[in-house]
Amino acid sequence: MQFFLNGLPIGAIYALVALSYSLIYAASGVLNWSQGDMVMLGAYVGFTVFSILKLGFTSALLLAMVAVAFLGVLVQYTILRPLRERKAPPINVVIATLGVAIICRNLALGIWGPDPQILPSPVSSRPFSLAGVSVTPQDILVLSVGITLMLILHFFLKNTREGKALRAVAQDRYAAQLMGIDPERSDAVAFAASAGIGAAAGILVAPIFFVTFNMGASVGLKGFVAAVIGGLGTIPGAIAGGFFLGVVESLAGGLISSGYRDAITFALLIVVLWLKPSGLFLRKNRQKV
Amino acid sequence: MKSIMSSRRGLAAFLLLLTGYLFTPYFVTNLYHLHILNLAGIYTLVVLGLNILSGYTGQVSMGQAGFFAIGTYVSALLMMNWSIPFWSASAMATVMAGLFGAVIGIPAMKLSGPYLVLATVGFGEIVRLVLLNWTPVTKGAAGLVGIPLPTVLGFVVTTEEHFFYLILASLLAGVFIALRIADSKIGRTYRAVREDELAAEAMGVNINRYKISAFIISAMFAGFAGSLFGSFSGVTSPDNFTFDESVGFLCMSVIGGNRSIVGAVIGAFGLTAVSEALRVFQGFRLVIYGGILIFTVIFMPQGIIGLFKRIRGNFSVKETN
Repeated sequence: MQFFLNGLPIGAIYALVALSYSLIYAASGVLNWSQGDMVMLGAYVGFTVFSILKLGFTSALLLAMVAVAFLGVLVQYTILRPLRERKAPPINVVIATLGVAIICRNLALGIWGPDPQILPSPVSSRPFSLAGVSVTPQDILVLSVGITLMLILHFFLKNTREGKALRAVAQDRYAAQLMGIDPERSDAVAFAASAGIGAAAGILVAPIFFVTFNMGASVGLKGFVAAVIGGLGTIPGAIAGGFFLGVVESLAGGLISSGYRDAITFALLIVVLWLKPSGLFLRKNRQKV
Repeated sequence: MKSIMSSRRGLAAFLLLLTGYLFTPYFVTNLYHLHILNLAGIYTLVVLGLNILSGYTGQVSMGQAGFFAIGTYVSALLMMNWSIPFWSASAMATVMAGLFGAVIGIPAMKLSGPYLVLATVGFGEIVRLVLLNWTPVTKGAAGLVGIPLPTVLGFVVTTEEHFFYLILASLLAGVFIALRIADSKIGRTYRAVREDELAAEAMGVNINRYKISAFIISAMFAGFAGSLFGSFSGVTSPDNFTFDESVGFLCMSVIGGNRSIVGAVIGAFGLTAVSEALRVFQGFRLVIYGGILIFTVIFMPQGIIGLFKRIRGNFSVKETN
């Protein structure tokens, strides 16, 4: 039970990262390998605002989200749009986003140096007992911010004009274009939202791990795994996949072996892909064309 | 591809290049540069397999470092623990990597796009994590030290120069085999599968069998390259086989041009050379490297070899796709 609960906060972070993959994938069919590095940049911007400029946690969170969202838009317009216009094969898009990841990682290394930085949590991480299990205020903060962001995203997609346009493009790019929606603009919205969510995940994960220039690789990969386990390109799938992965990791690490924890996760992933390629939590086995 | 070899100009250019390359150790006297060339040669073997997999059948693998690692560790451990000679150990390592290729090929035949990419990433990571944690056998993070040197006809390969010729010979053999595969019925079927799976199946092609065979071939190339890598380096650890390594192989494949065998050679040597040349930029080296990757995939969608073909028009090189 304790291991189960321990998995929830990290699960919320994986869910956020998974959302950021799924959002872009649903909107533009792009597999964005630089998503993990948006998480890393979010953590660094948050660290700069919080620990160096000494502004509060909320402003650190918001500034990081805005700054990284801006970068996401930049990537969409300068790199992905030309690729789409040239009808580049999907593998070229993968390499291009990997190139973005390499650039982000090494710029961060140049700016903030190789030493791990500490982004302290605004709340205590001393555990207290709640109904027989121990939780920390930090866990509660991660969960509440994470769930709030998911609700905001849900509201944005269902109730705003931009959100509806994005969903229309995700459903049928060509038809949406005929209806007067600019798909490139929708992609930019998806990239901005994804990068912003990733940055928030970076700030939430920073007090748990250190902030390092290569932290994005592992968090990014886990978020991608969560998105695929849940069903890539779907919002509920990403959330379910994130929490599922967090709990499975915690159980595997606590009950089986911490060294083999990630290996177990990946083995599980391959089995899921083999048996149910559309994800664990999708009823419909619909082929997204 | 056959046309390159059969056209007289192509063959002449190839022989000229090869003859020049044979004398490389006489003018590249800097051992570090020679070392880099040797590494590029070993990488080329991995990329050759990757091109058969991704360029010919259209299946992407971001886990080649896993097969590469299996090749290195299996051959090194066979040589160190049972004193098996290099070539037998290398052959067994190649077969072992091929077996793992079949293991990953079975789930992979149902997958495509991002799902296949992720499955192969997962495979590569599992291999690395097992090497890291299976300490009694693999010595964990410390890795293996003192991997024995190869022997060729009773002659022990020791120096960089010796390895240069051993690796060059392996590379030529690898290119030859890859060209033969690409030109055979198998290669043509691969391309049919890539272009239109349904149509190929309708023509009676057993798609699954061909997809798995492509994985096995690419794994064997990587496994053999790994066995060379182990003996060449003398030491190895799980750090040599990270996800970044797999990404590097994929970049070489795409930048060189993954639909061509020669593209593998160009990509592996070209990207290794670029990466070394950028060392003058120190901290910004990888930033520029990333920029070059992005620039290349946008402006040369078929890689460097595609650019050559576009420049030369429809000359003697017949379209291979």
